[in-house]
Amino acid sequence: MEDNIIIKVEGLSKQYLLNKSKATQSDTLYGNIIDSARKLKNITRKKETTEFWALKDVSFEIERGDRVGIIGRNGAGKSTLLKILSRITPPTTGRIEYAGRMASLLEVGTGFHGDLSGRENIYLNGSILGMNKEEIDRKFDEIVEFAEIEKFLDTPVKRYSSGMYVRLAFAIAAHLEPEILIVDEVLAVGDSTFQKKCLGKMEEVSQNEGKTILFVSHSIETVLRLCNKGILLENGKIKAVGSMQSVAKAYLDTNTGLHSKRFYDVNDKHNPGGEHIKLMSVIVHDDSFENKEEFDVTKRIGISMEYEVVTEGLIFTHTFNFNNEEGVNMFNTHDTVSDYRKEPRQKGIYKTTMWIEPNLLAEGVVLVNVAAIKIEPFTILFHELGAVSFTVIDYMRGDSARGEYTLGFPGVVRPLCEWTTVKQ
Amino acid sequence: MNRDKVIIDPDLNSFFSLKEIIKYKSLLGNLAKRDFLVRYKQAFAGIIWALLKPLINILIFGYIASKINSSESTTTNFLYVASAMLLWQLFSNVFNDVSNSIIGNSNLFSKVYFPKIVIPLSSILVCLVDFFISLIILVVLFIIAGQPIHWHIILAPLFVILTVINGFGIGLYFATINVKFRDVKFIVPVIIQFGMYVSPVIFSTTFYLDKLPQWLHWLYCLNPMVGAIDGFKYALFGGDVIYNMQYFILSVVVSFLFLFIGIKYFFKFERSFVDYI
Repeated sequence: MEDNIIIKVEGLSKQYLLNKSKATQSDTLYGNIIDSARKLKNITRKKETTEFWALKDVSFEIERGDRVGIIGRNGAGKSTLLKILSRITPPTTGRIEYAGRMASLLEVGTGFHGDLSGRENIYLNGSILGMNKEEIDRKFDEIVEFAEIEKFLDTPVKRYSSGMYVRLAFAIAAHLEPEILIVDEVLAVGDSTFQKKCLGKMEEVSQNEGKTILFVSHSIETVLRLCNKGILLENGKIKAVGSMQSVAKAYLDTNTGLHSKRFYDVNDKHNPGGEHIKLMSVIVHDDSFENKEEFDVTKRIGISMEYEVVTEGLIFTHTFNFNNEEGVNMFNTHDTVSDYRKEPRQKGIYKTTMWIEPNLLAEGVVLVNVAAIKIEPFTILFHELGAVSFTVIDYMRGDSARGEYTLGFPGVVRPLCEWTTVKQ
Repeated sequence: MNRDKVIIDPDLNSFFSLKEIIKYKSLLGNLAKRDFLVRYKQAFAGIIWALLKPLINILIFGYIASKINSSESTTTNFLYVASAMLLWQLFSNVFNDVSNSIIGNSNLFSKVYFPKIVIPLSSILVCLVDFFISLIILVVLFIIAGQPIHWHIILAPLFVILTVINGFGIGLYFATINVKFRDVKFIVPVIIQFGMYVSPVIFSTTFYLDKLPQWLHWLYCLNPMVGAIDGFKYALFGGDVIYNMQYFILSVVVSFLFLFIGIKYFFKFERSFVDYI
């Protein structure tokens, strides 16, 4: 093992056997006895097990100080990889070598007991996470302060508000001092302020203390900000590995076919346009109409939709909805300026372009719905959900709404606002 | 780089490592403390409940014993039953708690790595605390009966340890089966109940063996609790409690055999527990 390599994973696979039929019966002793009896009597009703490879031949190396984002869709094998790395479940084949103290946070507050006081739970949870008594004694005050629970230290945690509970749980985890930290996204529970606090703490740990971090997430925006290396898993295999930027791009390319451009077949019966209109294409592009996947937060972003009107005399206007990855509807816009919106259309092909101002959207993945609607009376002619998606990135040049600030920055929009300060 | 190097491979066999257990001794203590604290939280009478169950058993079975076994005095019968009952209670608690400990704490080891043997070990600590509290009953009975104490009493801890070994060995075996087959939680109480009647709890080994045909004697002594209880009674009362030294040794050997099998079986499957929970 080379000196700067801290984790080495070679040919890792994990197989699960899924019992197809009678899963519940063979889980009991009785069921097993019956099964064995059948075997003896040669009624070999073959036990229908299917092999399922949650991970298949995964190899990679992680260098000391790397902050690695592991991404992939549900069922891609992220959690399995995490569980093997943190020694919770053994691999079926392959091997991992790592050096140094490892802590994994697949959940906050593992082993918390509602009947025990905050104080008792700090010791219990701390020791489950691998801290010894002296370590917990030393960090105790810091933990209590971080969690802001001084007054309730001797109250059973079942009487805590859910916010206090999560704060305490996270505070303990945050005071572990591992060299390698494995974190599951589910760690970031609770309200969004608290999520940001957690992520902020992680950034602090990784960037200032030079720890090696493995972070599993669905949120491209978070891993892009937090991680320098990335691993993309798909169906248990490594699909891409390398810089976080390139891996994130590979993920977006494969993610449910959502790209920044999409073409539709006008002859398809299921064309989203419906019977009167045929949707032809939706393309996200920059100022010079060049299609891209990633857009600078400080630049204008254009979205163009092409469609064919097949029924003469339709009156409608155009609508776009913008949602982020969490499904939050960030804003909607409809065409209130074009002359076409009020007059009956002639048959033919039209192209509509809409521009998003610079410094409006926050960083992250944006999903676009496109629609054609009639205002009076309100009628939806078509509404294509998730037509295209694109990613907004802050390149941290200091000219965005972030300024010099590089840590967590919540909010769905990121406008540059005017600020003045005068001494009165 | 070589410092603290850890290798994760598909080999499912793991081993009993004292070093690992010592590393996690805080966890061991905290788990035991949790179980103990939680049991009597919001219970008004608290720890008294730990005394009530053995006390009732002693009163009932002591009475039965003195009615049936008239060869001994009532006082002796009560003292014998009390000492054996407390030890049996320790065994049954260890056996029962250890066999349920793994599935009862699956939420822990499915999220964090630690040596899983710490869980059943912590169950033992809790049972031992209960046992020492219940010893109060025995002390009080000794004082009431004016029972003299022999030098053999220094041997008593050995048989307490032997009892724990019995409960732990068998318990580990069942804890492992329990991961896959939840039937265990129904089987264990049956074994405990049945076991009490074939162990020298209510009556002495002599009483049983006198009633059994010769060829069944060795079978009776395959019960590992025969050695532990007889040894404990010898330590407390002296005399000819130990029926036959060979049978006694057989019973003790069986204890260690069970311990060995229990540990072996547990560590054979320990690493894959999570996949079956």
